[in-house]
Amino acid sequence: MEKKSVGSIILTVVFALLSLIWLIPIFEVLINSFKSNAFVNLEPFAFPNAESFVGMDNYVKGMTFGNYPFMQSVGYSVLITVVSVALILLCTSMTAWYIIRVNSFFCKIFYYLCLFSMIVPFQMVMFTLTFTADRLKLNTPYTIPIVYLGFGAGLAIFMFTGFVKGLPLEIEEAAAIDGCGPVRTFFGIILPMLKPTLISVGILQTMWVWNDYLLPYLVLDRTKYMTIPIHVQYLKGSYGTVDLGATMAVIMLSIIPIIIAYAFCQKHIIKGVAAGAVKG
Amino acid sequence: MKKFTAMLLTGMIAISMLASCSSGGNTASSDSSSSKESKPASSESSKTSEAASDNGSTASGGSVYYLNFKPEADQAWQELAATYTEQTGVPVKVVTAAGGTYSDTLTAEMAKSEAPTLFQVGNKQGLADWNDYCLDLSGTDVYTQMTTDDFNLKDDDGAVKAIGYCYEAYGIITNKALLAEAGYTVEDITDFDSLKAVADDIHARSGELGFDAFTSAGLDGSSSWRYSGHLTSVALFYEFRDDNVTEQPATVTGKYLDNFRNIWDLYVNDSSADPATLSTSTGDMCEAEFGTGKAAFFQQGTWEYANLVDPEKYGMNPDDLVMLPIYCGVDGEENAALCCGTENCWAVNAKASEEDIQATLDFINWVVTSDEGTTMMADQFGPIPFKAAKEPENVFFADANRLLAEGKYTVGWAFTYTPNTDSWRAGIVTALAAYSADPSDANWENVKTAYVDGWAIEYAAQNG
Amino acid sequence: MAKSKKRKASGNSVTSMLIRRPIQKWFPLFILPTFICFCIGFIWPFIQGIYLSFCNFNTPDDATFVGISNYVKALSDPGFVHAFWNTAAFAVVSIILINVAAFAIAYALTQKMWGANLFRTVFFMPNLIGGVVLGYIWSMIFDGILKQYSTYLTANATYGFWGLVILVAWQQIGYIMIIYIAGLQAVPEDMLEAAKIDGANKWQTLFRVIIPNVMPSVTICTFLTLTNSFKMFDQNLALTGGAPQVIANGAKVNMTELLALNIYSTYNINKNWHGVAQAKAVVFFILVAVLAISQLTATRQKEVQQ
Repeated sequence: MEKKSVGSIILTVVFALLSLIWLIPIFEVLINSFKSNAFVNLEPFAFPNAESFVGMDNYVKGMTFGNYPFMQSVGYSVLITVVSVALILLCTSMTAWYIIRVNSFFCKIFYYLCLFSMIVPFQMVMFTLTFTADRLKLNTPYTIPIVYLGFGAGLAIFMFTGFVKGLPLEIEEAAAIDGCGPVRTFFGIILPMLKPTLISVGILQTMWVWNDYLLPYLVLDRTKYMTIPIHVQYLKGSYGTVDLGATMAVIMLSIIPIIIAYAFCQKHIIKGVAAGAVKG
Repeated sequence: MKKFTAMLLTGMIAISMLASCSSGGNTASSDSSSSKESKPASSESSKTSEAASDNGSTASGGSVYYLNFKPEADQAWQELAATYTEQTGVPVKVVTAAGGTYSDTLTAEMAKSEAPTLFQVGNKQGLADWNDYCLDLSGTDVYTQMTTDDFNLKDDDGAVKAIGYCYEAYGIITNKALLAEAGYTVEDITDFDSLKAVADDIHARSGELGFDAFTSAGLDGSSSWRYSGHLTSVALFYEFRDDNVTEQPATVTGKYLDNFRNIWDLYVNDSSADPATLSTSTGDMCEAEFGTGKAAFFQQGTWEYANLVDPEKYGMNPDDLVMLPIYCGVDGEENAALCCGTENCWAVNAKASEEDIQATLDFINWVVTSDEGTTMMADQFGPIPFKAAKEPENVFFADANRLLAEGKYTVGWAFTYTPNTDSWRAGIVTALAAYSADPSDANWENVKTAYVDGWAIEYAAQNG
Repeated sequence: MAKSKKRKASGNSVTSMLIRRPIQKWFPLFILPTFICFCIGFIWPFIQGIYLSFCNFNTPDDATFVGISNYVKALSDPGFVHAFWNTAAFAVVSIILINVAAFAIAYALTQKMWGANLFRTVFFMPNLIGGVVLGYIWSMIFDGILKQYSTYLTANATYGFWGLVILVAWQQIGYIMIIYIAGLQAVPEDMLEAAKIDGANKWQTLFRVIIPNVMPSVTICTFLTLTNSFKMFDQNLALTGGAPQVIANGAKVNMTELLALNIYSTYNINKNWHGVAQAKAVVFFILVAVLAISQLTATRQKEVQQ
């Protein structure tokens, strides 16, 4: 027993150090976000000092830097993520239930198409999806969730059907005998039982939509709407004015909400990811 | 089952019909009642409104979407567009592509149903790419306002497809005050050798003077175009002049690359920057070195003037600023003037709706005739080749004009012939960065390859 | 795993007439919206994508059929071939690195130690940050380090390649680790006990008992890292964007470009290349599909054996 705890002390120390190393990149952004533009490039690893420290200036500048208010990008990112994920959860869970319970030829075809869509890389459809989305006016943050539902349906339906298959029929039969219609059965009985899967799918889809760069970049009317990843890439690419300090502040601002959300529901997130990966 | 399929098919058909409809109908704007010329241009108002009524169409229902090329002018365009909308009620949307992505953005935007009605064609190659989309502008109001045809792009039939709405010049911006501190005047610099002598001396004494000769030759994407685009252009210009090139050549020889190497070596050696880190130094940093008096020479263009004298930014004294030609050791270059030309040519989207085309033509005509428009153009773009142009306060244009008045030759913008511009330049930047970190002849060979072979490859890619 | 479920699905146990009939009436609510979106977001673009790969086009409206010439151009493009080998090398390296490191960390974290949960949380975190942002952060770090040695990230392909490997390892180790932890926790306690009684040492237990038991997780993780490496785009774009660009044998090659980025940049050359880019995308799709399907068959075979 004695030996074991010595071993675990060493292990703990090693991992404590490793964890700190793991956090260096984030820390790096944090310190640079307080330095003035020139110093970010000159001494990227130095702590801010009297000469290079600019306080919150970079954060203030970052808000409007690049001719587009950062908060607007944040707003659109939030809007797109929330609506898309809600839409995906609602529609695909209903569809998964329908597919399993109706189990017709069409359902099977649809199911296999969903499986198929999971192995198709985005590059295969990105150009044509852009044209289609533009034609159908799906190029705004209010309508782009439809694109996300369409392209993200595969995995979600796959995960939901896996769960619905395991639900006992008896409850629904009893409900049907009591005169409970499908809509009430679904929302009153099925949906509450789907909760664990809803959480996993929700987390996976949130991570995807929130961080997605290429799809909104191609589909959205970029001239009016930006999301956070697009905004960051835009700052990097602009002619002449690359204010590294302000960019670091913007990056920090884009990471902070993720870290906060993660701190609050890391258990769910880790569980959801593990469940999703095992299924996928 | 059959019922399903039928329903779904109906759905699909409905979607496709929706798709085909949406491409035709455009935004229903709320400005149908307002008259488009409610506040016409100040000086030639009668003429423009007459011309407009000749055309017999009013812009009601039309809107303008301008895909702007210059990020630094974005603010000014937005404000001008707002003013125009306020005065006429015609919606004007101005969008600016991020640096280095104009052609990507244009390609993407043009494929959309709400495509730009006004866009920019930089050169002959751009015209070749977009010819189908360029409206013939001959005889339009805005065209009749022009004072010269020099900057316009014409297709093979001589139709004016894009009009050069401004011209610019670049060279070596010099801080006269610093030069004086080092014991020189601009008159001391007349060719490459004298430039090198002055720069070498300043660099040698930089510790004591507190400033260096050149700013960092930054090769970050925000700065590299000054060299891969503008500096290579000087070499291309002399080569094309020798060979009487008048249209995009399939190959280049790199005859003047040694001269290019001369000036590049000077930029790199006579500056305080570590040559190995040029690939990460940004345009802002280079500008700051000059703006804060840490360097005496800065290769940039007329568009830089506003930034340098802006009291909010660097607040330099206009009297201290002068722009010198880029000397690189070519015979007879003491007679060279600045590098003048334009990449700024307006083209109107011929595939836009009738109303939008009219609205766009009215808008650009207003820009070059109205008080607000010409003021903004003078501030942002300097002298513009239109009758109602305002005199710009930019001293660099005075330099350009003075040199021309002395009978010197303009170093034309040969880079407008570059095939597949962004990609060709990317190759040059890669090679230049490697060469700067390790200035060996072998690495210079790679610059040559990127320049000569790269040209042929891009020409083939462009036209294949 | 998937198979056993499917067998159930095809049986009658998942539905009955009593339930089926009423639900079927509600198909416009339950399935139609999803199906329409699926057509818009996937089926139609997919079909159109295959069609356009045989066309010259700027927009789908002006497409003209050109046969297989786009495919010929795509496959004879040295940049595409280079990107393929680059991607393959990247996949191999990152699969090995990520899986070994993630397994080692997962194994350590399931041993007796303090703060295992906290460490797990930290290792997983980078996975939540988007690829573009990560690319930007790491390019700054790499350039900062390389500056000490008077060089820079895009100086040569080696830096860019390993830079991307490090970035992706940092991002994905935590994710893969989570799956391994789940796998390790599912190793039956009695098997471990039995090994101990038989006098097996730590290494023997690891290789003879634990690893065979987590094989399903290994397959899943290998597959995940493989497909992730093949589809890698954001990180590639933001870290090096394909630079440096070199000319060899009369052709231009972006040395650190992976397949997905190559397709994207081909499209952006100009409109003459749209069809070629789409053809490359089809080739890319086939490649990814073949990998995925062979993986699935491999998993199934293993399950049958068990």
